[in-house]
Amino acid sequence: MIRLETPLTVEQTDSMQIGDQFEIFGRVLCGRDAVLPRIIRCIRKGDPGVEKLELVGAVIFHTAVSPAGIGPTTSNKAEIEESIPELAAAGVRIHLGKGSLGRETIKSLAANHSIFAVTPPLTALFSHRITATEVLAYPEEGMEALFAIKVEGLPGIVAAAHGRNIFNK
Amino acid sequence: MITENEIREAVKSCLVEAGTTYRRDQFDAYERAIGAEKETYCRWVLEQILENGRIAKEEQLPLCDDTGIPHVIIEVGEECELPKKWLAAIKVGIADGLRQLPGRPMAVLGNDIERVEQSHGLDDDPAGLAPAPFITRSVEGSQLKLTVLMLGGGPEIRAKTRRIFHRRSIRNVLGEAASWLKEEVGSLGCTPTIIAMGIGRSQVEASALMLEAMAKGRLDRQNELETFVTAEINDTHVGPLGLGGHTTALGCFLRIGPARASGVRIVSARPCCLVEPRRGTVTLG
Repeated sequence: MIRLETPLTVEQTDSMQIGDQFEIFGRVLCGRDAVLPRIIRCIRKGDPGVEKLELVGAVIFHTAVSPAGIGPTTSNKAEIEESIPELAAAGVRIHLGKGSLGRETIKSLAANHSIFAVTPPLTALFSHRITATEVLAYPEEGMEALFAIKVEGLPGIVAAAHGRNIFNK
Repeated sequence: MITENEIREAVKSCLVEAGTTYRRDQFDAYERAIGAEKETYCRWVLEQILENGRIAKEEQLPLCDDTGIPHVIIEVGEECELPKKWLAAIKVGIADGLRQLPGRPMAVLGNDIERVEQSHGLDDDPAGLAPAPFITRSVEGSQLKLTVLMLGGGPEIRAKTRRIFHRRSIRNVLGEAASWLKEEVGSLGCTPTIIAMGIGRSQVEASALMLEAMAKGRLDRQNELETFVTAEINDTHVGPLGLGGHTTALGCFLRIGPARASGVRIVSARPCCLVEPRRGTVTLG
């Protein structure tokens, strides 16, 4: 089990291979369909607010955050998967969700020293590993706002790295 | 006579049980699946699912953050006496259960167009989530049996209700339905699945039978047809979480209804996710 503390370096994600199991400690961004395209629009406009999100070295978990807890949504939903290449280029090192991604998305990850990882919907177990939750942006989206959470041992498995994909081994 | 309050409390308890508790046959099926997997990370996924199930049951926490849309099946005995506001009591019990679970506050606000476009925000109250229309069956006896199912979003994206030319072969029908699901389980993400399937005369009837299959099915009582479907799905080797391996499906729950004279059967098939079918059942009276 690889221990990862955020923010992550390029060297850390470059050293990881598909099938590697890890646990994340530190700050994790949580966002899904509603907010990821909005962040991309801000990046394209050069909005200075993007810097406050601290995307370089970040982990983005494709989840809502609600009183029910957290758990991965399907990462190949159009608005989520389409955001991955530009978020990777902006410095996001791990995109954490579930389901497989398309070939072009996986290529873009490799080009940006970024990886895709999956985790089961372990909502009860995750609730023991979250130590803090805060809304970072877009509060009007409710549970689908952009959140930052602090975690102690959020688990995952590398599903795509270096252009390789665990789903089509 | 059964009281309104008994119905309300029973529905609330069923909803919370559905959202937090694997049944014994589900725990046992996961134990068997762990024994069947060789790949370390496939076993790890299954072990984590079991651990999540133990914590959820012990602490009454949601198994998954997509706590699902409430679906209620009502079986009313022909001799059963019900209080005047029994349907209202079921609705209030669902609202109580959603607040206690707590359900994910995912009801979309606004008029018809705003709801479709999700442009007017979400309801902060978990109880804002309206249940699906109730399914009611008349049965023998004097009791009231209530089943609450919580249906997650992922399987709904991948479920299908369509016609199949049966060609006078049940294997043909099940094989074709399994072929739809084989295309879907790879993108489900939350495998292992349990396949729920209903065979009927109309789209509505087949869907209702599929829901009843979810309400009644047991992993420790699989018939030959259910075992056939499970084997077909496991042939994909999608495996836990799509990572490959032996366990793509833990089982199949199949319900076959009345048929009409025709070369066609209507089949509703749903690949339930790894926390489903989430159900709670109570009998009153």
